[in-house]
Amino acid sequence: MTYNVKSLSRLGPSGVFGKVAMELGEQYDNIGIFTADLRHFSGLDRFGTVFPDKFFNVGIAEQNLIGVAAGFASEGNIAFATTYASFASMRCLDQVFMNMAYMNLNVKLVGFAAGLSTGILGPTHMSINDMAIFRSLPNITILSPADGMEIVEAVKAAAEINGPVYIRLTGALDNPVVYDNDIDYVIGKANKLHTGDDITIFSTGTMVYESLKASEILSKEGIGVSVYDVHTIRPFDTESMIDTMDAKLFVTVEEHGIAGGLGDTVLCALNEIGEKKQVLKIGIPCEWSHSADYSALKEKYDLVGDRIANTIHEQYVNMRKEIL
Amino acid sequence: MSNKVKYTKVFTDLFNISEDQAVNLKYQDIIEWDSVGHMDLISEIEDAFDIAMGTEDIVNFNSYETGIKILSENYGISLSD
Repeated sequence: MTYNVKSLSRLGPSGVFGKVAMELGEQYDNIGIFTADLRHFSGLDRFGTVFPDKFFNVGIAEQNLIGVAAGFASEGNIAFATTYASFASMRCLDQVFMNMAYMNLNVKLVGFAAGLSTGILGPTHMSINDMAIFRSLPNITILSPADGMEIVEAVKAAAEINGPVYIRLTGALDNPVVYDNDIDYVIGKANKLHTGDDITIFSTGTMVYESLKASEILSKEGIGVSVYDVHTIRPFDTESMIDTMDAKLFVTVEEHGIAGGLGDTVLCALNEIGEKKQVLKIGIPCEWSHSADYSALKEKYDLVGDRIANTIHEQYVNMRKEIL
Repeated sequence: MSNKVKYTKVFTDLFNISEDQAVNLKYQDIIEWDSVGHMDLISEIEDAFDIAMGTEDIVNFNSYETGIKILSENYGISLSD
């Protein structure tokens, strides 16, 4: 199946998931897609009509969602389950803990609206701690694609894994494009999208695009920046990090709380290999935000390219002053 | 290839339908032209004619015939036979 990159951008994560679900429905006889009353929001209207025997709406019952999907998976099937990321990581956490992490069942949990995109609905729908929660649970592969094309690859790759996966989907309609049709996607292998010697940015989800914008700004200021798309949070690609150890500063950028997300993943990886490196974590502070639309919240937390560049520039200059 | 042929081909290729079906097609007549398929259609038409359609036009584009009118009146693309 071919995908129109412009269309994927317009559709946003939900529409993209719906499109790739159609491909999975054709490919796998033993697949089932389950949702907690998000048939339309998950882009699954067409899937539910074309594949009625493979589609199950359990209603607004996230705990049941995981239990039913896990039962389906335990019979040798592939189960995808969709809900909001905030619900996926908290409302059904005990079921995720038991059925996905402990029993290691073949459930792919898709968390929509991760980060700030549903910020207008307030903190109950913002998902800024889901990565931290899933990182604390053994066995679960954690994917965090950067744009529509990478969502396609992530979902298809998740279906091929025999084990639990959490797919964290950030962004909204008109998601910026990072990849065209040429994408090299291997779970556990970060993609280097920009090369520079001074600073290395590790970014994930929607922040990959913003980090690339920041790298362009910093490059014009004479600061060389490498940018990695860390589309897989677990297993983290420690090898890529080792390849860039000569950089003077590491930066992590994520649409997630700075507690327990990508920044802490990088710090843990550094600790595991016994390396020390200054790491600037850019993300959302541990606080309750007021309700606001997506773009306003990204501005508030400095999660846009020019502000990311400013934050990095300031830290880098101060760091150099201290050294000199 | 005339603009009309190019336009029709977007429908036939994307939705895997005949030309006869395409010329009478309206939004949601077939399962493939749902909200997701609509964005594919718009993007393919934009690529075919090298244009960028406005939001209002995307929303109003609800049939093969309406599309001809929109492309003609708002983007100067003649789709006469």
